[in-house]
Amino acid sequence: MISPNPEMPPVLRIDNLAVAYKVRGGEVEAVQNVTFEIYRGETHAIVGESGCGKSTVAWAIVNFLGANGYVKRGSIKFQGQELVGRSGEDLRRLRGDQIAMVYQDPMQALNPSMLLGDQMKEVLTVHRGMSDEEAQERCVKMLERVYMPDPANVMQRYPHQISGGQQQRVVIAMALLNNPALLIMDEPTTALDVTVEAAVLDLIAELRRDFDTAIMFITHNLGVVARVANRVGVMYAGEMVERATVEQIYHHPQHPYTQGLMRCVPRLGADKSTSLLYPIRGRVPPPNNRPAGCIYHPRCDYARDRCREERPSLRQLPSGTLVRCHFSEEIDPALWKPSEELELPKAQAEAQDAEPILVVNNLKKYYPVSGSGLKDVLGLGRKRFVKALENVSFAVPKGKTLGVVGESGCGKSTLIKTLIGLEDATEGKAEFLGFDITGEIQQRDLRLIQEMQMVFQNPDSTMNPSYTIGQQIARPMLRFGTVPKDQVRSEVIRLLDAMRLGESYYDRLPRQLSGGEKQRVGIARALASRPDLVLCDEPVSALDVSVQAAILNLLMEVQHTLGTTLIFIAHDLSVVRFFSDYVAVMYLGQIVEIGPAEAIYSPPYHPYTEALLSAVPVPDPSVKVKHIRLEGTVPSAISPPSGCRFHTRCPRRSLLPDPEVCQSEPPWRSFGNQHRIYCHLSPETLSSFDPVMTTGR
Amino acid sequence: MLVKDCMTRHPILIPPSTPAAEAQQIMTESNIRHLPVVGPGKRLLGLVTRQRLALEAGQLSSLSVWEITRYLSRLTAGDIMIRAGEVITISPDRTVERAARTMTENKIGCLPVIEDEIVVGILTEHDLLRAFQAMLGMPSPGVRVIMRMPDRKGEFAKLSRALAANNMGVMGIGVYPTPRLPGFYDMVVKISDATLDEVREALSQVEDQEIVDIREAV
Repeated sequence: MISPNPEMPPVLRIDNLAVAYKVRGGEVEAVQNVTFEIYRGETHAIVGESGCGKSTVAWAIVNFLGANGYVKRGSIKFQGQELVGRSGEDLRRLRGDQIAMVYQDPMQALNPSMLLGDQMKEVLTVHRGMSDEEAQERCVKMLERVYMPDPANVMQRYPHQISGGQQQRVVIAMALLNNPALLIMDEPTTALDVTVEAAVLDLIAELRRDFDTAIMFITHNLGVVARVANRVGVMYAGEMVERATVEQIYHHPQHPYTQGLMRCVPRLGADKSTSLLYPIRGRVPPPNNRPAGCIYHPRCDYARDRCREERPSLRQLPSGTLVRCHFSEEIDPALWKPSEELELPKAQAEAQDAEPILVVNNLKKYYPVSGSGLKDVLGLGRKRFVKALENVSFAVPKGKTLGVVGESGCGKSTLIKTLIGLEDATEGKAEFLGFDITGEIQQRDLRLIQEMQMVFQNPDSTMNPSYTIGQQIARPMLRFGTVPKDQVRSEVIRLLDAMRLGESYYDRLPRQLSGGEKQRVGIARALASRPDLVLCDEPVSALDVSVQAAILNLLMEVQHTLGTTLIFIAHDLSVVRFFSDYVAVMYLGQIVEIGPAEAIYSPPYHPYTEALLSAVPVPDPSVKVKHIRLEGTVPSAISPPSGCRFHTRCPRRSLLPDPEVCQSEPPWRSFGNQHRIYCHLSPETLSSFDPVMTTGR
Repeated sequence: MLVKDCMTRHPILIPPSTPAAEAQQIMTESNIRHLPVVGPGKRLLGLVTRQRLALEAGQLSSLSVWEITRYLSRLTAGDIMIRAGEVITISPDRTVERAARTMTENKIGCLPVIEDEIVVGILTEHDLLRAFQAMLGMPSPGVRVIMRMPDRKGEFAKLSRALAANNMGVMGIGVYPTPRLPGFYDMVVKISDATLDEVREALSQVEDQEIVDIREAV
């Protein structure tokens, strides 16, 4: 392959683009002054928090803005041809042939009632008038290209019969069938597990190289950007505030907003005792109410008079970075100090070994599945179970945090549901403060329920939309009688203050709050009964990085002042590393490795932990990560592999003198300091693994 | 090196309905000289070149001043293109030298690359010149030597043994019959990670061969 030709014109050139939506009482400019270009064989990432106009730019390119949206100013040139003002027919031809899009949710891009093969072939038979057999052959080839196992068979299936990662592969294969010059990917991996995400990102990088496709990659995940992009544009409130190569963005961010974003994500190997997360104060202004002057000045720590009056233009610095800031030469991020208004958790004092508050021993949870055969209907068939939890044992000391990680379907949520009593345990022991909690919640003492509360992933679906915030927080207090009736209001306000929400939120309804605020209310409600143990099921996954940092800080503060014990589920391994004292890695209902956080993230590793860590996108392009990709999918929990459940996918199995030993139950290997690994490999072999991540700098 | 390795993928394509004026504008703005005209599914219909946009004097003189404007404004890419049947094309699996030969034989500057009637790329003089640079290790610095050797078997093996003995890597190589000296071949070799003197020292030992030219080159 010859190096790309610099004189070539860009595939896509967007110049001074403004997109407006007509709304009641005027119009809103969702996107303003966006300028960038994408060259052949390049991945240009667009990052920013939700609501900053990333997707609007993508939709403007394919004229998919809806009935009320239109391009107000500027031009979009694709392959030298203006797209703004084109007729629908022209655009359709261009899109089908040369621009393809991949969206976040693959299930929405696939027709659930059509065979995958028919959907794929349609692309070729309709756009190219190809014959059916020829189309079939090409589709199979393309599926092979995206590493789909057994492609001819997959063509004969419906979308729901394959996994999410495979669905996304089908969508990517479909997008590439016409060999497009430009591929727009809008959060293509956000809905996928880290291990699947890593495989899809590898695939994207490879396809870009082989097909010389220009890729516009929209994401909010800074780790993903570091892995795939060549150049990055940072968007804030509808404007592009910085544009540079990926190395420049991560190592020398110029705009205060970019610097702020970098401080919101936990650095590699960082934990809460040695470093802090700094959320960006304030929030993104709504598009109809943007401040005058620099759009970022109300949240900027360096704002001066000039920033309030004059809007900066995108200008080029000597390093090649384009930045929209008056003073970026004078700003040195190394000298940055958190502003006074920012409330940060105090450094955690190293607590002594406390009493375990929760002890779980050989906990099992089986869900019966009913078969559809005649025998099963008559109740004569063999009973089958989904073994969601198998022999789970751990203990959490008081005031500490246990992080639980693993792919989706590994039993993380079942574990939490069983502990809190939404499900009863099938077998085993679980004791909380010395009380048995394996039964259903109806049989539990009210006091016990009060001591154990939960924060959910999606605050929207757990709040009654017609109750005010105050009522919702007051309810557990009244129910458990923790506070005398006449003091409930003041107690709620005290909690709201602690959540940095203030009294004014008491009478608001959930829909008047942003996502981050709703999650704060969710936490306040969980804390209202003054529990000893709070179970958090992905509490920050749905939030933007700056809000995520604020919520994590808040949880740490709560833990620090009240001594609450937390169990914390998250799929973002760097967040878990940062936030947890202990980490349990789960695979298919079993804990495969458990121990102090820092021990989990450095050798010795369980082979599964090793693979999981190597899949994590690290927000630093200079970090070298070992390339381990698991083959196949997670086996069914109805008939899990015998012995070590991971052995069917284990990349380290060949290190064993006798691989057949994996069919039997592995022993727990102990490495001191409560670090245990559930593996047949000898402790010496496990200790000889290299660290997954190494800094190249 | 095959055509698919050095062609430009995703060339700018236009539909036949594009006005000639717009085609001209695209060529000027993007700084290109050839525009493949395609129908649905990127099927090749024709090719617009810069020459095609130049009006023939004979045609002009037959029109009155007023007619010219109207004539020009109605002109589309479909009217002025070289039709698909007359466009010389190439498949992505042919060799670069074959492509170069086709271009010199027909005195043309561009070959649309076609696979199953569909345009998958374009190969121009520019692409071939870049391929030429790549073959001789152009963008990276190193020591460039021209070795003159008699036209017989085993000469290249001698040279490569000398390179191997001195642990020298080759990043570009080209061989051709020595001009005006029958019975000899000249070989251009570009060597990385070695100094001029080291290379001179190593290659002057090769029997029957002569260093014609040696220099540090980028």
